[in-house]
Amino acid sequence: MIGRFGVFRRFARFDPRPKSLRARLLLTISLTSVLVWGVAGVASYHQALHEADELLDGQLSQSAKLLLSLASRPDAEAMASNSLPRPLDDDDLHPYEQHMEFMVLDAADRVLLRSAHAPDLPLPNRSDPEATFVDLNHAGQPWRMLSLRSPDGRYQVRIAHPIQDRQNVGLEVAAQVAIPILLALPLLAVLVYFSVRGSLRPLEELAADVAARSPDNLEPLPEASTLRETQPLVAALNRLLARLAATLDNERRFTADAAHELRTPLAAVKIQAQVALASTDVADHSHALRQVLAGADRATRLVEQLLRLARLDPLARLPQTRRFDLAALAAGVVEDMRAQADAKQQTLGFVAPTAPIMLYGDADLLGVALRNLIENALRYTPVSGVIEVCAEMHEQPRLIVRDSGPGVDAEEAPRLLERFYRGQAAALAEHSDGSGLGLAITQRIAELHGARLEIDNRPSGGLEARLRWTGKPPTGDQQ
Amino acid sequence: MRILLVEDDPLLGDGVRAGLKLADYAVDWVRDGEAGRLALLDQTYDACVLDLGLPRRDGLSLLRELRGRGNATPVLILTARDSSADKVAGLDAGADDYLVKPFDLAELQARLRALIRRAGGAASPTLSHAGVVLDPAGKRVSLEQQVVALSAREFALLHDLLSHKNRIRSRAELEESLYAWGEETESNTVEVYIHHLRKKFGADFIRTVRGLGYVVGDAG
Repeated sequence: MIGRFGVFRRFARFDPRPKSLRARLLLTISLTSVLVWGVAGVASYHQALHEADELLDGQLSQSAKLLLSLASRPDAEAMASNSLPRPLDDDDLHPYEQHMEFMVLDAADRVLLRSAHAPDLPLPNRSDPEATFVDLNHAGQPWRMLSLRSPDGRYQVRIAHPIQDRQNVGLEVAAQVAIPILLALPLLAVLVYFSVRGSLRPLEELAADVAARSPDNLEPLPEASTLRETQPLVAALNRLLARLAATLDNERRFTADAAHELRTPLAAVKIQAQVALASTDVADHSHALRQVLAGADRATRLVEQLLRLARLDPLARLPQTRRFDLAALAAGVVEDMRAQADAKQQTLGFVAPTAPIMLYGDADLLGVALRNLIENALRYTPVSGVIEVCAEMHEQPRLIVRDSGPGVDAEEAPRLLERFYRGQAAALAEHSDGSGLGLAITQRIAELHGARLEIDNRPSGGLEARLRWTGKPPTGDQQ
Repeated sequence: MRILLVEDDPLLGDGVRAGLKLADYAVDWVRDGEAGRLALLDQTYDACVLDLGLPRRDGLSLLRELRGRGNATPVLILTARDSSADKVAGLDAGADDYLVKPFDLAELQARLRALIRRAGGAASPTLSHAGVVLDPAGKRVSLEQQVVALSAREFALLHDLLSHKNRIRSRAELEESLYAWGEETESNTVEVYIHHLRKKFGADFIRTVRGLGYVVGDAG
């Protein structure tokens, strides 16, 4: 579920499998709890063992002293001769009584008293201190033994009990700590699971919200209900959604506009063809056929312009640039257009700069941009008008096209760069074959070169269109 | 029958004008909304073909202004947008019909015929009076089931008189109906065509109302 979330997937790029935040939290919290409780259990076992050692050593010592005092009694010799009437039976042990074996000896190491199963406890060394604890093996198990001599040296007591008993005490105490923990562990796991799931639910809801977004639904994600931790993510997603929506909107509008723009030349071609078919008059017939061709040409030109714009639009920057002379480029374009100007008896002049204007860019595209500007000037300037093209360098390069045409209305000026907008002059011109895209293409080419397209009426009448470089022009290191 | 065409696109406008002329309409073609408004103020048209995207004044605004003045000229709008919102906007602004580009010439002609017929108050696709039946779609005229051959101008004149049955048509109105702007009209051509029609359908088929004009049927 989290793995569906692209952002997380990106963070986990070194692991082919997406990581689950929930699984990681569950694992971490559960393992930590088990570890902490395990340590606590071991610690209490050791503590209990230590306490049991102290307690039972004390008990051994107490019992030894009791036996010694018994042996010191005057009738002890008599008891020794009879031994104990009956050894204590293990079955008689009180449930909490410690299993204990003992023997009491006199100075000549004769046994005066012994418990029923008392082993032949080894003799302590004479040089040992009065009271000595020894761990030893007897009958296949470890024992703890205390040897104690009476202060006058006449008797000594050896008393022992199995070390196993002590360990049992430790284990019992540890079990008392551990068993409730073991019982509580599944409950804890369930609690952790639900709390982690609850905490991550806003993330899942966010993921569902994002998944619900499509090109048809690019509404911003709700910010109010999100966690503080995901707010930057939601804000970033909303910014992305807004940009996407704007881009899609633009594209949709452009596609719709393009389709509608194509309908008019298509309608003209269709109707002219039908007129040609229905005309009996030869002149009308051939006129209609020529109009069919003109309509096909216009549709072709419109499609070419649309394709050019479609290719230029998505570019973030020019795919290939080289260094060239802007003045030489402009001079070449002006020469190419001279025949068109001559056909309308218009004067097309070029004012060259004193030095070459070297810059990086796409010379072919800039040629298209300049050609569009000159074509507009030729189209809207009356017969025998004057069109002047300038390439200048004022810190930044400029390309200027001035004409002696009617200019534009103040209210119309801002709309000139709109796609598919044709000026009133265009609508009223006898041969308006413009697509309404020329200036939009020119503007896009200008943008890609770090330049601006500006169009103003000239004080002396006519229109001036400028390509003015404003920012840092593209450099050669772009690829 | 005289039609105003308001279309800014030179190729399409030229084609529609030629196509309507083939159907014997007199067509005045203007290329922006403002010129369309002035033409409608100046002349009476049997119908108007109006593009919506126009320079200087868009088609919808022209249409609203026309209807606001109480002008009931049948209007057929041409639109490049086939979304129903655009059609609804056009019809609500007072259009009688619409066509989405690209359209068929035959369909344009048929829709115009229907508009003009309905504007004259007739439900039948043919016009008739006193045994004379005129079929605008087939461009045929018959008298007592016998087909009568007419020239284009004679047909147009008869069409005008039959569609304004029982109403007096002045000579000027009939002239306007026959000729578009810029077409040369000789004086008394209307009289000449009336004379031809009387020869074919009988002297009292078209009556002269002295000082006012001509009428088919009762002048009321």
